[in-house]
Amino acid sequence: MQGVRNLSVRERWPLHVVAAAVTVLVLAPLAAPGYALLYDMVFVPRQPLSWELVAPAQSLPRAVPMDAVVSLVTQLVPGWLVQRLVLAAAIFLAAVGAGRLVPTERRGVRLLAAVGYAWTPYLAERLLIGQWGLLVAYAALPWIVRAALHVRAGRPGAVPRLVLVAAPAAITPTGGLLAFAVVAVLAWTRQHPRSSALAAGGVVLLNAPWVVAAWVTGAGGSSDPAGVEAFAARGENWAGPLVALAGTGGIWSAQATPGSRSAPLVPLATLALLVLAGIGAGPLRRRLPAGVAARLAGLGGGGLLLAALGVLPGVDAALRWAVVHVPGAGLLRDGQKFLAPYALVLVLCAALGAERLVARMDPELAGVVLAGLLLLPVAVMPDLALGGAGRLRPVSYPADWRLVAGRVAGEEGEVLALPLSAYRAYPWNPGRVVLDPLPRYLDADVLTDDTLRVGDVAVAGENPRVREVRRLLRQGRPVAGTGVRWVVVQHGTAAEVDPAVLAGLDVVHHGPFLTLYRNPTVAPARTASAGAAQWAVAGASGTALLVVAAAAFSALRRRPTAW
Amino acid sequence: MRKTVTLLVSGLVAAVLGVLALGGVAAAATTTDVEAAQEAKSAREAAQKAGKPDPFAPEVYGTR
Repeated sequence: MQGVRNLSVRERWPLHVVAAAVTVLVLAPLAAPGYALLYDMVFVPRQPLSWELVAPAQSLPRAVPMDAVVSLVTQLVPGWLVQRLVLAAAIFLAAVGAGRLVPTERRGVRLLAAVGYAWTPYLAERLLIGQWGLLVAYAALPWIVRAALHVRAGRPGAVPRLVLVAAPAAITPTGGLLAFAVVAVLAWTRQHPRSSALAAGGVVLLNAPWVVAAWVTGAGGSSDPAGVEAFAARGENWAGPLVALAGTGGIWSAQATPGSRSAPLVPLATLALLVLAGIGAGPLRRRLPAGVAARLAGLGGGGLLLAALGVLPGVDAALRWAVVHVPGAGLLRDGQKFLAPYALVLVLCAALGAERLVARMDPELAGVVLAGLLLLPVAVMPDLALGGAGRLRPVSYPADWRLVAGRVAGEEGEVLALPLSAYRAYPWNPGRVVLDPLPRYLDADVLTDDTLRVGDVAVAGENPRVREVRRLLRQGRPVAGTGVRWVVVQHGTAAEVDPAVLAGLDVVHHGPFLTLYRNPTVAPARTASAGAAQWAVAGASGTALLVVAAAAFSALRRRPTAW
Repeated sequence: MRKTVTLLVSGLVAAVLGVLALGGVAAAATTTDVEAAQEAKSAREAAQKAGKPDPFAPEVYGTR
């Protein structure tokens, strides 16, 4: 049994070089100045540390504590740099983590695992839909598995290391759940019950911010059941959604799927990958400590099952019922995001399958075959390179944005973004759709529509205040009567704002991209006074931060064995 | 530990330097604000003439 061992420096550098090369290949366009704004990926120069971002009172905590972390970091580091560091670290550490985790003595097999895990359809699709928080969890996953195995083995200092590698994953609810699942399944052992319990408790506390935020939000715990069908796994080609999931793809959005995934031969590549993984399952079982491979398989299988829930006949109906009646079940709507553990297990098995395949070959030929297999993920999905073939392209915010932010910061009050739309397609960010950056750009409470349009289906949001404003506007009432202090009209988008809606407002700034109106009937007031609920979220976030600090202190104190 | 940290940092630095080097081409190819706005206007007008939907329709998160 080889197990997962520490690598020597000589073994590490090729892994790091390959990981760096993959990172460069994927993120090359980010060398240009500006911000890559694509779907859910929104970075701004300096994100305010507001209560609405730390503990949203009226919406579901999908970005808790991620927004709070970004707000804190961008007080010191500019947003454009944070974006590049986060994305580069996610891809680099995903590759290195998988390469270090695979139980093998062959360098080529490590490199194969590294490239395989950093070049999956899952990573490509979540990058192209801009869910960078999920990519961070994906990158942390092999490190969490490794640390959990060390806890299981009773290694000194393993618990703080596990907490430290799980912390980045827990910046989003999905990542936090994935981290907890790995720890609960892999780290639990009767031989070291105290360490196991400490590890599980630590990861539970890391999840506390979003759990508390979900508990206290005024948005309720249920979601629109229309989202189950809208966000269910999608077939990429003739083979359907289940085969797409088996190949770690199948995200609901056609726009976030690399074009190469629709090629008719892709299902055959998936089949080859599954066969290779099948060949490698035996070596993985033998080389990991007893019982670990079965637990890993359970994690991967569980992830695959969650991803498929929305497309399994009969189950989709149960899921629709659950998202309405079970608080928090809305997390399962876009189930494909739970594929991460499956992707890791698949890559580990496939890498060992390749090793077994070349075991009896002439060493020279074996090297050539491994090199060919190393390039296979890139050959099958070449359009992940160069920022998803040009989809990630940095742009600069027009000067209007800075001017409007300055005016709003001088007089506090609620801001309404019009036209009502959650996502925007700006002329200065051509060919891309992005979540409205205004709530993160302005130091104020910004009301934006939270209805998601997927094709012709409108998936209702949860924010009751937005719902009320939408109702008033639909009745033809002017914005002046909604109680907002400011209105920002965003130009250059297809939708128009009816001038009657803006009656009674004073124009404060009129630019080519934004017009700012002041509502003279509403006095400037601090709208974001924190209540007990928001203090509870802040307390949970502070506790999570303390847990990370304590883990860091403990790991550093054990330097000879840490990392 | 020091060696690991050195390797990790050097790997990340290498990645950043590589991004900067390769991205020179990308930087040169990036349009300015004015060019981007003009590009968008042209695309919108072309779609209008062809009777196709506006390519910058704002509200659609995605299609299946």
